[in-house]
Amino acid sequence: MAGGATLLVGYLSVIVLLPIAALAAHGLGLSIHTHGAGLAFWDWSVHTDFAAFWSAVTQPNARAAIWLSLWLSLAVAAVNAVAGIAIAWVLVRDDFVGKRVVEAVIDLPFALPTIVAGVVFLFLYGVKSPVHVTLFETVTGLLVALLFVTLPFSVRAVQPVLASLDGQAEAAARTLGAGSFRTFRTVVLPSLLPAVLSGFGLAFARAVGEFGSITLIAGGLAKTTTASILIFSLIGAGKPDVAASVSVALLVLSLLLLAGSSALARRISKRLSS
Amino acid sequence: MSISLDQVTKRFGVTFGVEDVTTEIPSGALTAILGPSGAGKSTLLRLIGGLVTPDAGRISIDGEDVTDVDPRHRNIGFCFQNYAPFRHMTVAKNVAYGLKVRHRPRAEIAARVTEMLELVRLSDLAGRYPAQLSGGELQRMALARALAIEPRVLLLDEPFGALDAQVRGELRTWIKELHDAVHVTTVLVTHDQNEAMEIADNLLVLNEGRVAQVGTPTELYDHPASEFVLRFLGPSTTLDGQAVRPHDLEVVGPTEGTPAVVTEVATLGFEIRVSLRLDDGQELWAQMSRAQFQALAIGVGDRVGLRRRPGAAARPAQAAPDAATTTSTDGAPVTTPDDQGRALTR
Amino acid sequence: MTAAPIGARRMWPLRAAVLTYLALLVGLPVGYLFYNAFSSGFGAFWRAVTQPAAVSALWLSAKIALVVVPVNTVVGIGAALLLARRRFVGRRFLDLTFDVPIAVSPIIIGLALLLAYAPLGSWFGPWLARHGIMAIFSPTGIALASMAVSLPYVLRSVVPVLVEVGETQEAAARTLGAGAWRRFFTITLPAIRWGVLYGVTLTLARTLGEFGAVLVVSGNQSKTQTMTLWIANEWEQNYNELSSFAGAVVLASISIVVLVVLSILRSREKRLHVDIA
Repeated sequence: MAGGATLLVGYLSVIVLLPIAALAAHGLGLSIHTHGAGLAFWDWSVHTDFAAFWSAVTQPNARAAIWLSLWLSLAVAAVNAVAGIAIAWVLVRDDFVGKRVVEAVIDLPFALPTIVAGVVFLFLYGVKSPVHVTLFETVTGLLVALLFVTLPFSVRAVQPVLASLDGQAEAAARTLGAGSFRTFRTVVLPSLLPAVLSGFGLAFARAVGEFGSITLIAGGLAKTTTASILIFSLIGAGKPDVAASVSVALLVLSLLLLAGSSALARRISKRLSS
Repeated sequence: MSISLDQVTKRFGVTFGVEDVTTEIPSGALTAILGPSGAGKSTLLRLIGGLVTPDAGRISIDGEDVTDVDPRHRNIGFCFQNYAPFRHMTVAKNVAYGLKVRHRPRAEIAARVTEMLELVRLSDLAGRYPAQLSGGELQRMALARALAIEPRVLLLDEPFGALDAQVRGELRTWIKELHDAVHVTTVLVTHDQNEAMEIADNLLVLNEGRVAQVGTPTELYDHPASEFVLRFLGPSTTLDGQAVRPHDLEVVGPTEGTPAVVTEVATLGFEIRVSLRLDDGQELWAQMSRAQFQALAIGVGDRVGLRRRPGAAARPAQAAPDAATTTSTDGAPVTTPDDQGRALTR
Repeated sequence: MTAAPIGARRMWPLRAAVLTYLALLVGLPVGYLFYNAFSSGFGAFWRAVTQPAAVSALWLSAKIALVVVPVNTVVGIGAALLLARRRFVGRRFLDLTFDVPIAVSPIIIGLALLLAYAPLGSWFGPWLARHGIMAIFSPTGIALASMAVSLPYVLRSVVPVLVEVGETQEAAARTLGAGAWRRFFTITLPAIRWGVLYGVTLTLARTLGEFGAVLVVSGNQSKTQTMTLWIANEWEQNYNELSSFAGAVVLASISIVVLVVLSILRSREKRLHVDIA
C-alpha cells in the first residue's frame, strides 16, 4: 500500500507537479543562490525576477492576447450557460423523433480532436466557404469555434439537475398565480444555478486554453491571437521563458475570474430566491 | 465456541463506542445484543468479528485470544445489515465464495453450496443474481454464505432491520429454527426488544457503551438490574418514585393505595388501558385484561387507589414521569418519547 | 420522477431554436467534414489515408495509446481507491493535482514538460541527456504529454461508482477469508467495471485526439508525428486539403465509435454520466 502510494506520488510528480513547478519557476524567473559553501538550505536564498515577468506580460502583444482570451472565453461561457439551459430543457422536458441523435450530437465536440474541428472550420468558414460565410482571421471565427468545443459542458452540467426536479414546486408556483417565466425565474433557475455555474467554469477553462480548433482559422493576425496562440509562437521563437511568464499570468487571471464569477453567481442566486 | 470479552473499550473521537465491556457469551446459544441507537451494539459486534480493533481489552473465541487476529483468520460468519451481496455473482457463487478462498476442491464446494441452499430454502434461486432477489431471500443467502465456511461463531448485524413486518416475523422464527438445527454460537444485534426476547437464549443489554445487564430474557424482565433495563425491556410508568410496568399496577379502593382519578379508558384489543391522574397532577396508566377491568367496575372520573403488585419488578425512578423530559449535558431540555410512551434515559 | 413533458405546442418554439442552433453549430461542420473528404471520390480518399506518412502517424498514435491508457488506468484506479476510501494528509492536494490537466491549456502543459525535460535549458533535461534519455522531441515526450492530458478520466469515472458501491462487500469478503489482492480482483474490480471502462474510453479518445501538447513536445520530426500532427502538417506544410480532411475523417470516425460505446456504457450503468470535468 505504501509502496503504491509512493509510486503514485512519483508518477504525478513526473507528469504534472514537476513540470508545473518548472513552468512557474521559469515564468517568474526563480533562481536559487547559495551563499558561501553551505549546502544546507538555510544558506540558500530564493529570488524571483519579477521585473522580467512583468515586462514579459505587459508587452502589448501579450496584454492584447491575454485580454482577448479572457473576454472571449467569458463571452463563450456566458452564451453557453444560456444555450445550455435551453438545450437541457429540450432534452429533459421535450420528446420528439430523433431526440437520441441530439443527445449523441451534444457530446461530439468533446470527443472530436481539436485539430479536426480546426481544419473543418478553416475551410467551412474560410475564404472559399461553401456557405459563403467567411470568418477567416476574424474574432467571430474564433467565437464560433469556441462555441463548438465548449457546447457539452453547460448542457451536461445542467441536465441531471433539471431531470431530478419533480415539477411539484413549479406546480405550486402556478397555483399561486405565477406565470411561466416567473415560475422559471424564481423556482427553477435557483436550483439550476450551481450546475450552471459549474458548467460556466468548465466552459471558461476550456475556452481559455483552447488551441487546436482556433489556430488555423485565426491566421497570423494580431487581433486574433489568443493567449495560447501567442504562447505557442513564443515557444517556436525560442523564448520559452517569456512564454512561461505569459502562461503564469493567464493561469492566475483565469483563477481570479473564476473565483469572481462564483461569488457573483452566489449573489444572483440570493436575489433570485427572493 | 464461547466468546470472552475482557475490559474491551473502543472510542470514536471523544465519544465512547464501547467502554470497559467484560462478559462471556455462552457457547452454542443465541445471544442478542440489545440497546437503544448509539449504545454500541454494532461496534461490539464488529469488535468480536475483528472488523474494528479495540483501544483496550482482549477478545477471545473458544479460549483463543483473537484480539490481534485479522477477521480473515477468525473463522467467523458475519451477516451485514444490508446483506452485502456480491452483486456481480450468482447466489450459488456468493455462497461458494468463502470455500473458494480456502481452495477447497470443486466437488466439495458444489456439494456444500447445494447443502447450504437447501438449508436456507433457496435451491431454485441458485442461478439468480442478487438484484433479482427480495430482501428476505437476500438475508437467507447472506446466512448461507456465512454458514458455508462452518464458522465457530455467527454474527448478525440487525438482520431484520430492512424488512417489512411480516417478512421479519417469518425470518425470526426461521432463524430460531436454524439455530436449533445448526447450534453454532450466534450473536445477534437488534434494537427491537420484542424480537430479542422472542428468540434469544441470552440477552446482553448495552447502554451508552456499557453493559447494563446480562442474562436470560426472563431474568432481565423479572429482575431488571436498573431503571434503564426495566424501561427498555417493556412498557413502563412511574408510581411513588418507582419505575414499574403498567401491567404490574393494581387498581384498588381509594384508601388502599396511592389516590388517583380515572381520566380515560381505552380498549387495546383484548387489553384495557386505564389512564389515571394522581393528586399531584402526575399522569400515568395501568394495563390489564378485559376480565380484570370488568371485575373492577370503574369508570372515568372515579377515585381509585393505585399500588404496585407485590413482588413485581420495580426500580427507583430518576427521571420525571412519562414524557420524560430530561436535560442533556448542555442544560437544554431533551424529550425522547418512544412509541409506547417509555422514557429512554439519556 | 421528472416533470411531465409540456405539451408539444408550447415547446416547439424552443425546440426549433435549439435544433437550429445545434444543426448549425455541430451538424453543419461535421457534415461538411465528411462531404469534403469524399468529394473527390472514395478512391482519392483511400489513397490519401493510406500514404506511408499517414499510416505511420496512425501507428504511432496507436502505440502511444497502448502505453498511456493502461498506465493511466492503473493510476486512476489506485488513486480512486485512495481518495474514496482513506483519509490522509494531502488528500485535497491529490484531488487538485488530477484537476490540473483539465484546467490548464494543452499548450501550457506542453511548455511545462518542455521546461522540465527538454535536452537543453530545462531542469532535468541535461541530466537525462547525459544518461542517454531523450524525454522531449521523441516518442517518449509524446507519451509523457499524452499521459499528462488524459490523466484524470479514469479517476473521475471510478470515484463516484466506488463511493456508491461502498465497502461492505469487501468487508464481507474479508470475513470469508479473502486477502487484500483477492478482494480487489474478485470484489472491487467487478463492482467498478463499468466506471473503469467508461474512463478508459475517455482516456483513449483524449490520447488519440490530443494536439496542442504533443505539438509543443514533438519538435516537428517525422518520428514524433502523431495522427493529429499529420493532419495539421498536411495543410500547413503541404497545402494538401484532401489529405487533411481524409485524416480528419479517420479520427472523427473513431470519435463517433467512442461516443456510441460511451452511450452504451451509460445505459448499462445509470451511475455514469458524461464526466467531462
